[in-house]
Amino acid sequence: MKARRIAELGVLTAAALIIFIIESFIPYPFPIPGIKLGLANIITVYAVYRYRAYEVAAILFVRIILGSVFSGNITAMIYSLSGGVLCLAGMLLLRKVIDEYHLWLASIFGAVLHNTGQIIAAVIILQTPAIIAYYPFLIVAGCLSGAFTGLCAQIVVKRFKKTPS
Amino acid sequence: MKNKVLIIIAAVIFALGIVGSIFVINSPKTDTVVIKRDDKILYTIDLRTATDRTFDIEFRGSVNTVEIKDGRIRVKEADCPDKVCVKTGWLSSSAIPIVCLPNHLVIEFKENAEVDAVAK
Ligand SMILES: [Zn+2]
Repeated sequence: MKARRIAELGVLTAAALIIFIIESFIPYPFPIPGIKLGLANIITVYAVYRYRAYEVAAILFVRIILGSVFSGNITAMIYSLSGGVLCLAGMLLLRKVIDEYHLWLASIFGAVLHNTGQIIAAVIILQTPAIIAYYPFLIVAGCLSGAFTGLCAQIVVKRFKKTPS
Repeated sequence: MKNKVLIIIAAVIFALGIVGSIFVINSPKTDTVVIKRDDKILYTIDLRTATDRTFDIEFRGSVNTVEIKDGRIRVKEADCPDKVCVKTGWLSSSAIPIVCLPNHLVIEFKENAEVDAVAK
């Protein structure tokens, strides 16, 4: 890997981490765990369409691990990791099918898969199948937040295209 | 073409999510409530006969304060970082348990009190 490439990945990871930590200060009014905008996913979605699979994975997992350490919520790390693995796997497959102009669509699937991973982790950890009742809400929330972060990522991709790299 | 198919799939997932949410919100409630940590039942409470009270449940130094009042139950205060359990408010649907992920706490309606009586 070239130094330039490593530097780019570092900048993206740092940006995702900053967004993640700023977002953790926003209080959400929903009485359901796991519903949030997930603004840091703007970076993930962008990276999926610009970098190799292992590079995206590095950005995502470093952000999740450092993010939960910095925000002091270690329990959340298990849920984020579980969601992150599913989301990443899904989006890496989808980028072969969905073109760059439909980032928002790939992002919706990514968000829904992310929430699916979180639900699976919650059911396993808490041994309470009733938690599946949250799933429909998480799907609706995932579609909305996924579309939003996807559109943001699309704007980022457009901007970067104008500047020669 | 591929995009169109995927957009339709996304729309169907979204619609299913909305239908499921409506279904969950409309689930009827029962009178028996269980408070669980992981798969262990800590308390079983009959809300019809329960006296109004407030009590603490501790987990690794983190506390959830549970309140029972007028035949309803909620987490009044909690030490957890996200406070989702407190924001859930009074337990109102058998499909939506009060969950505190950081403290591994679940408060939910028991599906059917009769079934349990037979099992004992
Ligand atoms: Zn809580």
